[in-house]
Formats: sequence, C-alpha cells, structure tokens
Amino acid sequence: MRMLWRQIRSALVRLSGMPDYERYLLHCRAHHPELPVLSESEFFREYLETRSSGGPTRCC
Amino acid sequence: MRTLLWVIIGVVGAVAWGVLALHRGETVSAAWLLLAAIGTYLIGYRFYSRFIADKVFELDDRRATPAERLENGRDFVPIPKWVLFGHHFAAIAGAGPLVGPVLAAQFGYLPGTLWIVFGVVLAGAVQDFTILCGSIRRDGKSLGQMAKEEIGPVTGLAAMVAVLSIMIILLAVLGLVVVNALKGSPWGLFTIACTIPIAILMGFWMTIWRPGKTLEASAIGVALLLLALVGGRYVSQNPSLAPLFTHSGLTLAYLLIGYGFLASALPVWMLLCPRDYLSTFMKVGTIVLLALGILVVLPPLKLPALTRFVDGTGPIFAGKLFPFAFITIACGAISGFHALISSGTTPKMLRREGDARLIGYGGMLMESFVAVMAMCAAAVLDPGVYFAINVPLAGLGGNAASAAETIRSWGFSVTPEQMSGLAASVGETTLLGRSGGAPSLAVGMAQIFSGATGQHLAALWYHFAIMFEALFILTTIDAGTRVGRFMLQELAGHAWSPLGRTSWYPSTILASGLVVAAWGYFLVQGVTDPLGGINSLWPLFGISNQLLAGVALSVATTLIIKSGKARYAWVTVAPLVWLLAVTLSAGYLKIFSPLPRLGFLAHAADTALQVQNGALDPATAARLIFNDRLNATVAAGFMIVVVLVVASSLREWVLVLRGRKPALTRETPFIQSAWVS
Repeated sequence: MRMLWRQIRSALVRLSGMPDYERYLLHCRAHHPELPVLSESEFFREYLETRSSGGPTRCC
Repeated sequence: MRTLLWVIIGVVGAVAWGVLALHRGETVSAAWLLLAAIGTYLIGYRFYSRFIADKVFELDDRRATPAERLENGRDFVPIPKWVLFGHHFAAIAGAGPLVGPVLAAQFGYLPGTLWIVFGVVLAGAVQDFTILCGSIRRDGKSLGQMAKEEIGPVTGLAAMVAVLSIMIILLAVLGLVVVNALKGSPWGLFTIACTIPIAILMGFWMTIWRPGKTLEASAIGVALLLLALVGGRYVSQNPSLAPLFTHSGLTLAYLLIGYGFLASALPVWMLLCPRDYLSTFMKVGTIVLLALGILVVLPPLKLPALTRFVDGTGPIFAGKLFPFAFITIACGAISGFHALISSGTTPKMLRREGDARLIGYGGMLMESFVAVMAMCAAAVLDPGVYFAINVPLAGLGGNAASAAETIRSWGFSVTPEQMSGLAASVGETTLLGRSGGAPSLAVGMAQIFSGATGQHLAALWYHFAIMFEALFILTTIDAGTRVGRFMLQELAGHAWSPLGRTSWYPSTILASGLVVAAWGYFLVQGVTDPLGGINSLWPLFGISNQLLAGVALSVATTLIIKSGKARYAWVTVAPLVWLLAVTLSAGYLKIFSPLPRLGFLAHAADTALQVQNGALDPATAARLIFNDRLNATVAAGFMIVVVLVVASSLREWVLVLRGRKPALTRETPFIQSAWVS
C-alpha cells in the first residue's frame, strides 16, 4: 500500500516535470558514494534553475 | 481476429468521414467528428508509426538510451513510459491547438478538421517522432546542435536565430489572446491576477518551508485557484472592487509586459516553476474533462461544414482556404516548436528506445485530439454567435445593432438581445468582438459543460475555461521569456563574453528587458491595431511555427539519409514539401498581396492614401505604416532563414547520395542495455 502510494506520488511529481529527490539519492548512493549529496532544498533549486535555462520546456 | 479488429476500426473511421463530408442541411453530431478522428489516429499509430519505428529508425530496446547511459539523477533519469507520455504531452500542448482551430472555423469545421487529423498522422506526429529518435541516438542533443553537427555551423546558427525570433512572435500573439480575453472583464482578471500570489506561495512552500513537498503545494494551489475563481464573481459584482480589475486592452498589455520581465528576472523556484506545476495539472485535468463533456453531451455541430469565407473574404482573418487554413491551425496538425521539446527534456528520460513511438508519435496524436475538441467547441456555437464573438469590433460596425446587421448580411442570424443575454449568462458585460479565440472557446466549453451540469453553472464554467487558457498562456510567456533571455545571452556572449554569463545581474536585466521589449512591441502593436491584431499576428505566428517545422524536417531528412536510409526519406520529405508550399505561399501573400486586409505592403499603401484623403491623422498612420513594413520584414526574414536551411540541407543530401561524402552520422555507438536481456 505504501509502495503503491510512493509510486503514484513519484508519477505525479514526474508528470509535471519536477525532479524526484529519492531517485537522486538512490543514484548518488549507488554511483558516487564518496561525494556529498545535496539537501532536498538545494537539489530542488539547482534542478529548477538548470531546467528552465536549457531550452524551451513549454510550447505554444 | 486482430485483422478483423483493424478492419472494423478502418470502416468506422471511413463511415464517420463519409457522414461528415456528405452531410448537408441538418446539423450533424460531434460524435462523428470524434469517431473519424480517433479511427484515423488508431490506424496511423498502428501502421505508420510502426513502419517508421521498424524500417526507418530500427528502434531497438536492446540499445541503451541516454537515460540509462548518462543517468545523473537530475535531467537524465529514466521514467515510466506512461508518465513520460503525460509529461511530454503537457510540455507540447498549450494554447496553440485550442486557439488555432477556433479561428480556422471561419471556413467551416470540415477543412480544419481534415488538416488537423490527416496533417498530424502524416506530418506533425512524424516530425515529433523522427526528431525524438534522432535525439535519443545522439545523447539527447538539441535541434540546433543536430543541425550544426549534421548539416553545418551556419545552419546551426540560422536555426538558433529562427527559434529566438519565432519565440518573440509566439509570445506576442499569445499575449494578445490573453489581453483580448481579459479586457473589461473584472472576473477574469481577478482570477488570473490571483494565480501570481498563489504561485509564489507554492514556491515558498515547496522549496523553503517544506522542501520537496510538491504535491502538498499543488493541492493547496488548486484549492486556492478554485477559490479565486469563485471569488472573481464576487469581485465582478462589487461596485467598489470591480473597477480595480476592469482595464483596457492597452493597460493589460503593459501589465503583461511588466509581469514577463519580473518572471524572467526572479529566481525560477519563486514564481515560474510553481506556476508551471499548477498549470500542468490544470491542463491535463481540464482536457480530460472536456473530452468527457463532449462524449457525454454529444452536442450537434451548428456551424456549416464549409462557409462562404473559403473565398478569402473571411472577417476574422483574411486569405483563402489555401494556404491560410493550414497556417491558422498551426499547432494542432504540425508545430515546429515541438521539435525543441522532442530534442530537449524528453529524450533524456526515455527508458527504452521503443517507448519513443508512444511518446513522440502518440503524444502528438493526443495534441491533435485536443485541437479536434477545440474545433467541436467552436462548431457547437450558433454560427452567428461564433462570428459575433470572434470578428473584431471594427469589422462588425462598432455596436451590437450593426453587428447583428453585418452578420445577417453574411447569411447567419444573431440578435443584439441574444448576445447581451449570452454575455450576462457567463458573467460578462459584452462578448462582442473578442477576437483571439479564447472567449469563444470558453463559451463553447461552458455550453458543453453546462449541458452536463445545468445552465446555472455556465458563468463559472466560462471563467474556468478562461482561467485555464490564460494560466497556460502565462506559463508559456514566462518560460518563453526566460528561455529567450538565455538564448540572447548566449548569442551576445559571442560578441562580448561577460554578456554570456547568465548569472551576471546586469546581463540578466539587459537581456530580459530586450526580450520583453521585443514581444511587448508586437503585443502593443496588436492591441492597438484597428484590424484587431489577430489578422496580422496570428498568420505571422502560424508561418513562423510551420517554418520551424520545415527546419526540423530538413534536419530529420538529413539524419535519415546519412544513416543510409535514403529510400525512406520520403517519410519526412513529403511533409517538408507540403509545408514549404503552404508557408512560402502564405508568407508571399502576407507581404505582397494587393489586398490591404491581406498584404502588409498593400495595407501600408492604403494607409498612406487615407492620410492624403484626410481620413487618418499622420501620426497614427506613420505608426501603422511602420508596423506593416516591420511585419513584412519579419515574414521575409523567416522565409529567407528557412530557404537557407533547406538549401544547405539539400546540398548535403545530394553530396551524400552521389557518394561524394560518406553517409556518416554522429550517432552514439550501440551499447547493450542492462535492462533488457
């Protein structure tokens, strides 16, 4: 039940183009365990900043 | 068994098209329109997209996607197919597919619908899908980068300049749609104004107070938004509050320009992203609601299949069916802008190559379906009402009585009482001459929804529809201004490197100001245009958007030819040829047509003549003439850029096909996916 809720939440968050912090933590632990991780707030702001400067994210 | 199913789908689709095409006299149900569209989409998806996936690109699930190879937990992240489908759809669908069909309905519902449905299957979805395939094979590179690497640096630069200038026109015309929907409407303006503090509150909630709790923030946001919607009625009926939110088009245009500047210069988490977030949920929710509404109510289409205005005398915008129906529909059938999304955020999140078919091709079919629904919403209105709302006031003689008279002379009937009654029922003072498409779409949607929920809710549904359109137009405006600012800074950085530093404040302010000033200029021009602005700006936008599609299809063709698949190049060459024919002839007519309502230069000459006759004061005339020449230059500029890109691509194709250049692409080499065995 908890698992299902987590999946629905992650899908909704992803749908709107927002990042998935838990996924980021999993990735960091698996691939770069030696590096420090960003806090949720830092991660969020950094992601939003890069996303909105890369190219159009919304069309006409 | 399966074959039988596809035969049935084919027959149902064909019968539905037959009913639509052959029906005369009595009204026909919207159900036939939906059946015809859905049948065609299913056939196109099942057969044509599979052909492209299997034969042209040989998509292979065993090949690791950029999301697998380059996963970084941030932008390169694999996400489930259906979630990505929703995300991609929300990114490509905006106000364009809603407004274009409503305007094109002046020709009747049939020509627009045919182009929306067949255009998407053979051109629009093909463009989105081929660019997506090209980009996933190249680490998620952008359209501009692919143009630079596969065709040449000049083409890459031309593509970038094209994107920037198209964005300017897009933002201006979308701004005009919002302004025309909100002028003199305290209810609408109050609701939209509330979205700004709501977004800021959400921004603080999800980044500062409760970081990452985006769903909480959006639940609060949606609740407050609905409260603002209901509150708008109170404001509009309150004699001391209503004047605060009642403004002319020009004032609203300046407010919008100020907002665009602010949104571009503020940190994104504060305003831009939360608003984007909110509008995504509203967009997906409302589109589902609209589809259900049409399916439940199955309203009759009151607009004729074809109107007399196919001859070019249309009062909403000038020009004949060919090429102007194809320019006006813009986003619902093919949209060059999508190529930027298909080579932007989406390719970095694809889990398997095979998913590209659903997301690239299927996502665009979905957008086309939105356009078909918008066409339904326009066609369920009485034709007289449709024209009364959409024709600029000047074209209707200036008041309700003359409007009724003018519309009667076109063979449709509407009375001043009918229009004032309709305006009152949706909580507005007047609906006459609200050109731009949004208000008539909102009236149509309100009619459909209140057919399911009861007439007493019509005003609420109308303002809900206006809010929903304005919300994602504003999202496009702030995101677009910001992206435009970054592109300008990148270009300026080539001239003087400090200007290219996007975090340097003076550069940010300067670039934001320039981008806002550029679209703001066109917006003000549109608002003050005696012909209503839509007549000049919407075709300019349509032409630019379709020409960008021409650039994208040229790049896609180059990728196909260079990967040794020249025998399948017709998949992208055929839509390219059609688009060039449509856009270049429309561009030529907009510049050189001798009719003042159609040709920019003829309009300038006509204005000069009016000054000589003393019918117009010289200062206004000078401004109008300057704008006409500016618009003509912009149209010519777009055409030149595209001809350049197509010519340089053509040269590349010939070199490769004659064997004078090796057929080599810069695809990332095959790496076996660990997720598929």
